[in-house]
Parts: sequence; structure tokens; C-alpha cells
Amino acid sequence: MQQYKYLIIGGGVASITAAETLRQNDKDSRIGIVCDEPHLFYSRIMLSKPNFFFGKIPFEQIWLRKEEWYAQNKIELISGNLATKLDASAKNITLSNGQILQYEKLLLATGGEARSWSLPGVDKAGICYVRDLDQAKELIENVKTAKQAIAIGSGFVSFEMCEMMHLAGLEVTLIMRESYFWYPLLDIESAKMIETALQKGGVKILRENEVVEILGNERISGVILKDGTQVPCQLAIIGIGLVCNLNWVKEAGIEINKGILANEYLETNIPDIYTAGDVAEFNDLVLGEKIQLGNWVNAQMQGRAVAMNMLGEHKPFRMVSFYTCIGFGLNIAMSGDVKVNPARKIIKRGSSEINSFARIIIDTNDKIIGATFINRTQDMSPINKLIEFNFKVSGYESKLSDPNFDIKQLFPK
Amino acid sequence: MANIKEYTRNKEGSNISKIVVDRDLCIGAASCVAVSGETYELDSENKAVVTHADAADDATLMMSAESCPTKAIFLFDKEGKQVFPK
Repeated sequence: MQQYKYLIIGGGVASITAAETLRQNDKDSRIGIVCDEPHLFYSRIMLSKPNFFFGKIPFEQIWLRKEEWYAQNKIELISGNLATKLDASAKNITLSNGQILQYEKLLLATGGEARSWSLPGVDKAGICYVRDLDQAKELIENVKTAKQAIAIGSGFVSFEMCEMMHLAGLEVTLIMRESYFWYPLLDIESAKMIETALQKGGVKILRENEVVEILGNERISGVILKDGTQVPCQLAIIGIGLVCNLNWVKEAGIEINKGILANEYLETNIPDIYTAGDVAEFNDLVLGEKIQLGNWVNAQMQGRAVAMNMLGEHKPFRMVSFYTCIGFGLNIAMSGDVKVNPARKIIKRGSSEINSFARIIIDTNDKIIGATFINRTQDMSPINKLIEFNFKVSGYESKLSDPNFDIKQLFPK
Repeated sequence: MANIKEYTRNKEGSNISKIVVDRDLCIGAASCVAVSGETYELDSENKAVVTHADAADDATLMMSAESCPTKAIFLFDKEGKQVFPK
């Protein structure tokens, strides 16, 4: 039986960053990475970027670590293999090829999969997801032949995919259950800016609607919606969220919810088993609640933090989470907790009229807890700092609402 | 022509003398900002810009470049040799 000091399940950014950090601080111990995809570490975030689809960013740019890197750092990659069983008392993992690996410290950084469309006929050609490299390759092929396409969902994936398909010359229809884009994370004013940009880009938007039937034989030829509308399409891109397959983790006695539950040290309920990245539902010290985030930077920063804890540092993970994306001439970002409820106050900064609009969300303790930004990403880092500093807003409302005021002036001296 | 921005670094004791950001490659993921907020921020076009080239030590700067998901950050030593990406 192969024995590892540090065994990591998953081959994405949380895993690689953790392995790198472990090796920097422990030159000799054995480190192994088990990864179900048959690939080296690649840039998952690039998969949904139009520049990647159209070759403006060379395909080779997607590989973030060369094969030599694994060898030079003595990091053993066991790719094309799924972890199927965890025995937490014997401290071993069984792989899909039957191999059993022993660990001293285990990191579960298994990420998630694109949530499947649950309708009859979802296996027809032309129904695509954009979560992993092989799915992205399939999508690139489908974009070449399709004339009409639909995008399902109202989030980052749909937004970026709409732009990609629009640039590819396809006739695009966006279908969403919500009454406006990104409901309820955005307000209607921000959403209107996005929807106007989508419509100017030729995207037709169908709100409060959903697909009830998929048409076509082997390939999708169209869909029928709840209200009876028929939309012809040869391509459907599904962006309706992420799911984690955690049965094998649960069977081992690890507490799960939608993700793997962890404290602020990214430790699970079982000693020597840690989690990080998209799969981790961790205690976010900034927001004061357990959350699961699906984003690159969070996964990367957690990879580093969890490795330090596996090395024995015992330091909590603390970061203001954020995400950004670009499309149709807009840049969009969200930081921290953007949920709105009647007890929370919102300061508006800029407006849709000037095509530059942020919302700063204040909790009942007079502290900033989150913000959304449309064409104001320059405000994101300063706002995140104010969140970290527990900045008290009272008395500064008018300054924060002035789009020309430099937020950095509010930093503690 | 590539849309690049160069930033000279004069930090004492540092081996890195230039930071280059390729704005065509940058997608504004801001992983560099997360690693070294004292060095980088996003501008109004959602691209990473260097605000204080001398703020971070070499190890942090290297980490910030390595963290970029599109390899948009290039680092050069005093002899003008590219030290990242290798």
C-alpha cells in the first residue's frame, strides 16, 4: 500500500496551491494528488472566457503547471482516477482502479460538477456545460455548427456564454426562471444595466420562464417553454449552478450539507481531514456564517491557508470573498455578503444613467458587509478593505455615495 | 500589438526589477490583488494595474504572478531576463 504524509483529492487550484505550499514548507514528505480528470492542472476560470474560445488566448495558455513541475516538486499526480471510498479510522482512500492509498493528513478539494438539466432528453447532442476542459472542448465544436442557441440560467456562466455565442455570430436567447438577471443578488437597477447590455448585443431575454420539453432526435433542435413558446436552437448552454457528489464522503462519517462542512481552520469534523475550494462549506469569519463559494480566488487562497494548517500552523482562514466578470462592455463584481433584507441598508454610488453603479450593503451594526459593482471594479479593493477593517459607516454616507469620492481616504491612518 | 503595461521596481535587495501586465490576457480575476493587495488593484476597465511596485517582497511578488489564472503577469530580473513565467 502506498503511504503519503499528505494526500490531496482533487486537481484544481485549491489542490495545487495546497501542494505547492506544503512542499515549500516540508521539503521531504511524500505528497500525492488524486484527480479524476486525465489532465494536468489547468485554468478552469479561462474556460468561460470568449478570448479563450476564439483562440485570442492561445490554447496552450490554459496549462498552469507543466509536467516537469510535478516531478521537480516531488508531487505525485494520480490522474484519471476517482476516489470512491474513505476509511477515516484506517486512514486510507480507495480509488476507482482499486488501489488503496494511506494518508497521514487528507485534503478533500474535490470541487463540484455543473448541475445537470433534469429533463427527458438531456443527453442529446448540443446540450453543453462549461465546467471542465473536456466539456469546453465539446462546446467549442458545437459553437462551430450551431446557428441558434439558448443559455439557461442568470449568473456568471450564462452572462459570459451569451457574449461568447454572440461574438460567434449565433442568434442567442437567454431563458431564466427569475424576474430579472441575477435575482436576488442584484437589485433591479443593476440588473437592468446588464439586461440592456445583453439586449444591445442582440440577446433575446425570456424571464420567469423555463424549458419543459427538449425537441430533436439525436441533436437538440429546439425547446418548448412553460408558457408554450417554442424556441428553435441547435445548442443549449446550461449554467444553473454547481453540485458536489459527496456520498462517499458522507459514508465515511464526515459532516456534509451542500458541501463538506468545515470550521474556519478548514478542518472537517474528523481529525486530520481537511477541505478547501468549491466543495468547502466553511465558517466564514468575515460574514459570520457557513458558506460555500464557487470561485477561483477563494479556492486558491483556501489552498494556501489549509496547507499551513495541515503543517500545524492553526491559523483561521479569513478573506473577503469576491468575484468579477466581464462581458458586453460591462464589468461586474460582487464582494462579501450581497444578500439584502429589510434590516440592511444600501448606499448607492453612481447610477445606471452614468453607466457606473455600485451598491454598498450595510448591516445592522453599521458595518459594510458586501457590495455589488457594475463598471466600478476600481472600488472593489477599497470596499473590501473597509469590510476587513470593520469600518463604521455612520457620518460617511454622503461620501460613500459620491462616485467621485476616493474611498481610500477612509482607510485608518 | 500586445497591450502591455510595464512597471519598474527599485526595491532594495530585490532581484525583480520589472513587473509587466499583459492587459489582453488579464481577465480581472484579481487573484494577484488577493495575494498582494499592496502591489495591485483593478482599474476601471477591470484590469490589474500595479500601484506600488516596491511594496511586496520577491517571494510574494512571485506568488502573485504564479496565482494568475491567465499567466498575464511577467517578472524580469535586473539583467532583463524573464524570471516568470519560466
